[in-house]
Amino acid sequence: MRRFAATFIAVVLFASAITVFPATPPKSLNVPVVYYKLPNGLKVVISEDHIAPVVTVAVYYNVGFRLEPKGRTGFAHLFEHMMFQGSANVKKFEHAKFVEANGGSLNGHTDFDYTNYFQTLPSNRVELGLWLESDRMRSLDVSEENLKNQQNVVSEEVRVNVLNQPYQLFEWISLWENAFTNWNNSHNGYGELAEINAATIEDVRSFFKTYYAPNNAVLSVVGDVDVNEVKKMVEKHFAAIPSQPAPARADLTEPPQTKEKRVSQTDKLANLPALATGYHLPPQNSPDFPAMALLVQILQTGEGSRLYQRLVKEKELTLDLSGGLNYFGNEFDYTGPMIMTTRTTYKPGHTADEVLREMDAVISEIATKGVTDQEVANAKVQYRSNFYSQLEGSQGKAHLLSALALFRDDPQQINSLLTPFENVTAAQIKTAAAKYLVPANRTVIDRVPEKKGTN
Amino acid sequence: MKPALALITLTLLLTPAFAQQKTPPPPGPARPLNLPKITEKKLANGLTVVLAPLPNVPKISSILTFRSATTASDRKAHSGIAQIAAGVANEGTDTRTSKQLKEELRSIGGTLSLGSDADSTTMSASSLSEFSTKLFDLMSDVAQHPSFPETEVKLAQENTIQQIRAGRADPGFLVNERFQKAIYGDHPYGFVVADEKSISALTRADLRAFVTKYYIPNTSHLIVVGDIDVDKTFAEIEKAFGSWKSGEAPAEENPAVPKREKRQIYFVNRPGSIQSAIFIGNVSIPRKDKDYFALRTADTIYGGSFYSRLTRNIRESKGYTYSPFSQSNTRAKAGSFSAGAFVRNEVTGPTLLEIFYELDRMRVLPVSDEELSAAKEYSTGNFSVELASQFGLAGRINTVYTYDLDKSFINDFRPRIEALTTADIQKAAAKYFDTYRAAIVIVGDWDKVKDQVTPFGEVTIYDADGNVVTKQPS
Repeated sequence: MRRFAATFIAVVLFASAITVFPATPPKSLNVPVVYYKLPNGLKVVISEDHIAPVVTVAVYYNVGFRLEPKGRTGFAHLFEHMMFQGSANVKKFEHAKFVEANGGSLNGHTDFDYTNYFQTLPSNRVELGLWLESDRMRSLDVSEENLKNQQNVVSEEVRVNVLNQPYQLFEWISLWENAFTNWNNSHNGYGELAEINAATIEDVRSFFKTYYAPNNAVLSVVGDVDVNEVKKMVEKHFAAIPSQPAPARADLTEPPQTKEKRVSQTDKLANLPALATGYHLPPQNSPDFPAMALLVQILQTGEGSRLYQRLVKEKELTLDLSGGLNYFGNEFDYTGPMIMTTRTTYKPGHTADEVLREMDAVISEIATKGVTDQEVANAKVQYRSNFYSQLEGSQGKAHLLSALALFRDDPQQINSLLTPFENVTAAQIKTAAAKYLVPANRTVIDRVPEKKGTN
Repeated sequence: MKPALALITLTLLLTPAFAQQKTPPPPGPARPLNLPKITEKKLANGLTVVLAPLPNVPKISSILTFRSATTASDRKAHSGIAQIAAGVANEGTDTRTSKQLKEELRSIGGTLSLGSDADSTTMSASSLSEFSTKLFDLMSDVAQHPSFPETEVKLAQENTIQQIRAGRADPGFLVNERFQKAIYGDHPYGFVVADEKSISALTRADLRAFVTKYYIPNTSHLIVVGDIDVDKTFAEIEKAFGSWKSGEAPAEENPAVPKREKRQIYFVNRPGSIQSAIFIGNVSIPRKDKDYFALRTADTIYGGSFYSRLTRNIRESKGYTYSPFSQSNTRAKAGSFSAGAFVRNEVTGPTLLEIFYELDRMRVLPVSDEELSAAKEYSTGNFSVELASQFGLAGRINTVYTYDLDKSFINDFRPRIEALTTADIQKAAAKYFDTYRAAIVIVGDWDKVKDQVTPFGEVTIYDADGNVVTKQPS
């Protein structure tokens, strides 16, 4: 029975395999965007979307762990925790109570170049979200006791996600420490336990005053709301928050790397060896950047990518492949220097050199022979598909709109963001590979188990 | 904060119209719920097709569930076969190589992967909606004609074994594995991963026989959510899946779930560990049980939400841990309730004490009206958010069909939650937060924490590979 069915399908498939893809015009997405600034400098983005009765209220501050003070690694993230410890009219941890008791969920996240806070609520509770965010932006209240409590909590976070884990996030923390020379870029953003615990209440107050001012932030409201009503609420809750002098921008520039960096590490907890590489990327406004983004897609995104096929399937050297253009986010939600990372766990009995040799062979094929037009077409489709997935919910949309407001002062770009990527040619991808994916531009870390594997 | 406050006060005096509001603003009028419009149809071969338009982005998201292909299926002859079959099914069909499949997926902005668990094997797939025909074609091909090429089977066996070895370094993997074994014993629900010998013994013929028997349309359902037109999509599905031949529904294996007699500690020794990974729990109820909503809500109040009792206690008050949790995990034939936390070695004993204290408090005393009302809002509000994402809605519909729930489940969710009383919550906690017979599973450094652990019960110590090292009476 199966055989007949199989034969029938085979014929159909053969037909479809030689047919060029139907030229259905790609569907596009049009996100309505209202953007303005309050007199105190707060950037406000409002986007209506009535598909579900929910709303996301998000505040993005223009400070991430690159800007935390020296001697205080992990401070930007510790500070994020302090934002849930109460303000003038909201007691410690009550932020969570208000949001959840009103049918919502909430979180915060600290990244390279921003720290965000967001709540998704039933849309008729939008003003609650605005009130909560305005109260802590205006009047964060911190105590020694709450600071000590959150230093303990964050220390456990670092233990559970880094120190007690095999590999200890080496493809982020160690790779960045080695790939970058400027402290702002290179230091451990999750933080050393001793430095997390050395933070004082004065550090918290000064960081708040410097970076958590309305003129250093974006407020986004996305979902089932009315723009004009939201504008009035925003005015009511945020307009009176005083602005602060703009923080001095730190120098994030990175000297060009001229020689390959190789690092060997041992791991007390891991059972298998792993390898990570990082290549410095061109800045986002470079004409090479869209080509690099599609190159990453072709090279290492998904099981159809060239590196996955070579390392995992053809050569059977490694078990997995992960990484990408921005370790935490996407092409649009950072500003400082960035590396393209690749991480792979390889099989015992093999060496890092074997893995690297295959990686280099794959790269060199692209740099010398280029990629096929079909690969470029597929990469663009995949890129568009992934892009739409990011915009599926109010939270994802709020994220991208906030990043575009924060870093480009232009969230309207959300509707034309794909264009430069759609215009990339196979020749540009070849050129980008030859220019950036060279050993002199990379850092390699080989991390092997201290004990022999379990076999 | 003094100087900052002084400054703010001054500002407020100047702009009295925008005085800082001291109390939370009340909600506006309730908005329409927009419950999804769900259409169910059946193909001639018995495949149930469920469609729900959700055009939030120009994509579609799909789940194809084989309800017959569970952890229990064929487990006596071939332990772990459902998992390996799911892992290799999309590595080649009778007419496509693995590489061709992945390339075709790229050309439609697609994803397609399979996974198996105690109640089913599911294929999750998505693509741009303009390529829906192609996506259904690929899904149908993988469902009907996976070829299990020798090289792919061999590679998957080797890699699975290595991945399990890698996982044995991770406390999260170890604590979950030991917990499932502790509460379910030899019941198929206690299965997490197969041993290396069983994995190596599987052959291509075993795998082909497995999918022929268990991947059949008449015990499967296909859910498609997204930017779809119901009639057009159904026609595309009929074309892609119509030729799938039905089979004989395999007899269900239904062994009894073991009952625990006493509280016991299962300690996985991980020398050098700087934290103890703790799971405490017991078997609870199957998904269809009448207590589902009460237990789910008790879980929300105890540790299942951020502003939960457990989080307020051992995180916000005591600073023992980052992310304490509890979960009510209900399945077709049984379920479990568990609470847990990852804590520094020094507070292992105190954490056990607080987890038990909070469990017992909910068994003995009713929760407050305020807590219950907050939990209800939390559940119903977040349900709406879940239904607004394609895979969120598809996942919800999938539980309805996998667990044979009332078709009105999604519409009834809100009234069922709203009907709960504080007495319902206490009854559910008293019954299912069974501290007296709890399994306590800890992954950590035995030498460092043993004195804190032994007061809580009899201990069996395991190594990371699951071997019993020693038993210690309390």
